Order: sequence, then C-alpha cells, then structure tokens
Amino acid sequence: MNQALTFILHAALIIHVALLAVCVWRVWRGENAIDRLIGADLIGTLTLAVLVLIALITTNSIYIDVALGLAALGFIGTIALARYMADQ
Amino acid sequence: MGTIFQIVALLAVVLGTAFSMIGVLGLIRLPDVYTRLHAAGKVSVFGVALLLVAAPMLTPLGFGKALILIALLLIGGPAASHALASAAYRIGLPMKHAIRDDLGKAAGPAANSKP
Repeated sequence: MNQALTFILHAALIIHVALLAVCVWRVWRGENAIDRLIGADLIGTLTLAVLVLIALITTNSIYIDVALGLAALGFIGTIALARYMADQ
Repeated sequence: MGTIFQIVALLAVVLGTAFSMIGVLGLIRLPDVYTRLHAAGKVSVFGVALLLVAAPMLTPLGFGKALILIALLLIGGPAASHALASAAYRIGLPMKHAIRDDLGKAAGPAANSKP
C-alpha cells in the first residue's frame, strides 16, 4: 500500500511539472494578451499543486503554509492585470 | 483506520491529477479564449482542491488549515476567471462558433466603456 502511494505521488508530481511546462509554452506563444494571462494564472495554480504534492511526499506540512500564502495573494495579481487590460 | 485514509487520499490524488490534465488539455485544444477559460477554471476548483483533500490524511496537518486553503481557492479562482472573461469581452476578442451573445445588446459599445 505504501509503495503504491509513493509511486502514485511521484507520478502525480512529474505530471504536474510537465503541465507547468505546457503552461510556460502557452505564456510564451499565446495568441493574445488574455490567453497569456490565462496561462500565467494557471502557472500559479499548478505551483500550488506542486507544493501540496511535495508536502504529501515528504509528509511535512510546512509546505502547505507556503501554499496558503500563495493562494491568499496569487489571484490578486491576475485580477489587477485583467482590470488594467480592460480599462486600456 | 489508517488504511482507509490512505485509500481515500490515493483516490483523491488520482482524481485531482486527472482533472488537472483535462484542464490543461482543454487549454491547448479549445478554439477561443472563453472556452479555454472554462477549461482552466477546472484546474483550480477541482484539481488542487482534491489534492488538498488528500493532504490532511497523509501529513500532520489539521483539517482546518486545509479547509481554509480550499475556501481561498474556491473564492479566488472563479473571481480571477470572471475578471479575465470580462476583460476579454471588453477588449472585443471574438467568439468562435458562438450561437448567440447574451451581452450583445445590454453592454454594447456605448455601455462597456467604463463600469
């Protein structure tokens, strides 16, 4: 059971890092500004997921505190940039 | 008791990873900005929230902190998605395969200059 759990957690971590690479490519080669902003927002969310998975692998809850700060402040930047682009 | 928690945590991690993969697949495959936004919203609401359901079962973390984090995600993710969709509509990005535009008359060029 423990070996299956460890394998699943490591596989999920690798998958999430690959999805982060896809989002970085999306920010680099987006069609328009809003598309790139969606990619940047998704990078923040997936970073949160990677932090939670590292906390699960090391069974150490200190990474969840970092994720808490990222979740509390991360979406404000996206909202501010979206408002800025809408008002241009 | 511990084994049940481990099985539930394993199922939550697998489901959350599947939701994240589907969301990013939609981000690169769907045709226009609004449908891509629909797919990207799934990652924060279902993907990370299901990983956080697994977190207090495997780590020495209280359920309260995980619930606070899930609540922050459920407040922040849809707010960011709505702001992005509103900005895309005001800039005037086109919709592909649109059947109708519900805001077409209400927020025309005269009405959507400033909120």
